[in-house]
Amino acid sequence: MAGCPRARARPSAALLESLRRGKDQLRRERERMTLREKVGMVLDLQRVCLPLLARQRRLAPWERPWSTEP
Amino acid sequence: MASFANALRVLNEMKESRVVEDYAVAGAMALVFWTEPVPTFDLDVLVFLPREEGPVLSLAPIYEWAARRGFPSKAEHVMIEGVPVQFLPAHDELADEAIERAATMEYEGVAVRVVRPEYLAALYLEPGARSRKRRERAAALRESAATDVEALDRLLRRFGLEA
Repeated sequence: MAGCPRARARPSAALLESLRRGKDQLRRERERMTLREKVGMVLDLQRVCLPLLARQRRLAPWERPWSTEP
Repeated sequence: MASFANALRVLNEMKESRVVEDYAVAGAMALVFWTEPVPTFDLDVLVFLPREEGPVLSLAPIYEWAARRGFPSKAEHVMIEGVPVQFLPAHDELADEAIERAATMEYEGVAVRVVRPEYLAALYLEPGARSRKRRERAAALRESAATDVEALDRLLRRFGLEA
């Protein structure tokens, strides 16, 4: 009936726990990467994050993607 | 092409040339050595400068050395091999110990001094520099397998810091 909203389904505690475990697993996998892979990921993150940061505030002179290889 | 490994080589050259007495990579790039990568845009390097007469500490010798090597400085950063590097003179006893007890790691065949995770977390929790981001990084370090949590807690107690 209109005007009587149905209760929204919520994730179970088990599902939330499983999602959290998935996040932990990915974090552990990133921790196990080689240092070269990690530095490569920092360079990738710079390229992803800088345009977003630039929309929020003026960038400092050093806030540019590094012109270097891992 | 510039490489991160070459930037680290330059840090070692600075120590060999006595431009700095010692150094240790700190901040977000030190996290890379101990836990997962996080976005960052500069390389923080804690340094002991050669002892000078008088109380005024100057980074000018570092900038002058870098300029002679062709590494320009801008906004308190030195561009080394495409990486903006900020040299941070040790500001207190915790920072002193962080440099003295830094781990010697290896990156692509280059030895590099890196602040240990317990000291990194403690530095993030210093009152003058606390921010949500820094507290989160300290918390991430506490969960890292690389961190000796008991040693971290001893360090925090010894320096009167709160987790």
